Amino acid sequence: MTTFSLTRRVMMLGMAFAMLMPAAAMAQKKTDPAVAFVQKMGDAALTELTDKGLKGAEREKRVRDLLRKNFDVQTIGRAALGTHWRSATEAQRKEYLSLFEDMIVRTYAQRFGEYTGQQFKVNSSKPTTNARDTIVSSQVIQQGGPPLLIEWRVRNNDGQYKVIDVFIENISMMITQRSDFDAVIQRNGIDGLLDSLRKRQK
Amino acid sequence: MQNKRSMMLKIASKTAMVFMCAFLLAATSGCSSARSDLRATGGVYDPLEPMNRGVFAFNNALDRAVIEPVARVYNFLTPDFFRAGVQNFMRNLRAPLVVANNILQGDVKGAGVATARFVMNTVGGIGGLFDFAAAHGLPYEPEDFGQTLAVWGFGEGFYLVLPVLGPSSLRDSAGLAVDTLADPVRLYAFNRNEEWIYYTRGAVEGLDNRARMVGAVNDMRRNSLDYYAAVRSAYTQKRRSLVRDTNPEAPKAKAVQYYDEGWE
Repeated sequence: MTTFSLTRRVMMLGMAFAMLMPAAAMAQKKTDPAVAFVQKMGDAALTELTDKGLKGAEREKRVRDLLRKNFDVQTIGRAALGTHWRSATEAQRKEYLSLFEDMIVRTYAQRFGEYTGQQFKVNSSKPTTNARDTIVSSQVIQQGGPPLLIEWRVRNNDGQYKVIDVFIENISMMITQRSDFDAVIQRNGIDGLLDSLRKRQK
Repeated sequence: MQNKRSMMLKIASKTAMVFMCAFLLAATSGCSSARSDLRATGGVYDPLEPMNRGVFAFNNALDRAVIEPVARVYNFLTPDFFRAGVQNFMRNLRAPLVVANNILQGDVKGAGVATARFVMNTVGGIGGLFDFAAAHGLPYEPEDFGQTLAVWGFGEGFYLVLPVLGPSSLRDSAGLAVDTLADPVRLYAFNRNEEWIYYTRGAVEGLDNRARMVGAVNDMRRNSLDYYAAVRSAYTQKRRSLVRDTNPEAPKAKAVQYYDEGWE
């Protein structure tokens, strides 16, 4: 042992570190609670929502339960209204949030109703500039096509995780919605937006 | 005579290029004065909105009447492996442009990967029908001259909806024009007076792209209140993300401020 030169020892130490590092990184990836949260949510969605025999109303009810449990709908809704949130009255805000939730429920119920065996795989996570938020990256693997990249912006509220934005192939659903709503408000005001959302319920 | 004519053409096209560059520079730098409009359009500068909406409505009608039905029939009639082969072949034809744009962006590694992909897929992938390179750890990365202009510091300019081709921007339209001029397939077809090759390629490429988006487009049509505004936002976000991937250091300041308004 004592015959080892210093450089050799340093090299061996380096190698030992290099071998340990990926293991450490992997261990950390496994235990990231934000990743585990998204995985659990995905699993629950696939088992509860994809049954072909599910009636429309029952599927919507299940989507709503999962949504309330896993998404911070209030925060997303507020953000999707952008600056108009400030100018909205209390009554408008309340009705808007309820209509907004209905819209998301219908959208996702529809998407899961068209499920054709895609697989869901959670990959990795990365931090954001906001210490509470993590971006969890996942893939939807579909037959006969490239996997779809879906990222979840997950916020940690004192250990309770909630999704606050979904990016599909780098396109933020919240920002797209904000532009969409904004265009309607520009023309018809907040009441116009509420009207459009109400019409969508039928 | 022939010589003189080609000389004139060359001068004319050079002049046109200079004008285009000047216009692009003026337009992309001049838009800062109108930044206050940005909030009104969800972060996208769209001074030609009335015209764009008209073209968009036209495209949408054309799509519903002809393009989407054809894309659906294509999806229905052809097996997955066939459509994958079409996409691989089309991408391989454009590979020289991807290499060139990587070089122009100063992305040596990207240029190397694109070159290796072109060689591997042409030889090992039977003329590009199989994406042999992706299976060996060299995935496809789209690059076009619009992204190159972005790396060179040009802004988006303004949002622009092109007839038939769809959402674009001033910068991306200029990029598209340059890519089209430099396209080896076009040069080959026009030199041989076999223009049909070029137009057929364009049609097949368009069909392939549209057929892949049937689900996404439907979802967007169903779930947006103002389809035009939703597409405008989605297109711009997608392009910005491609530019960020290309050169993560450069446009940091332009990276979208996600939760700036109404956010706790």
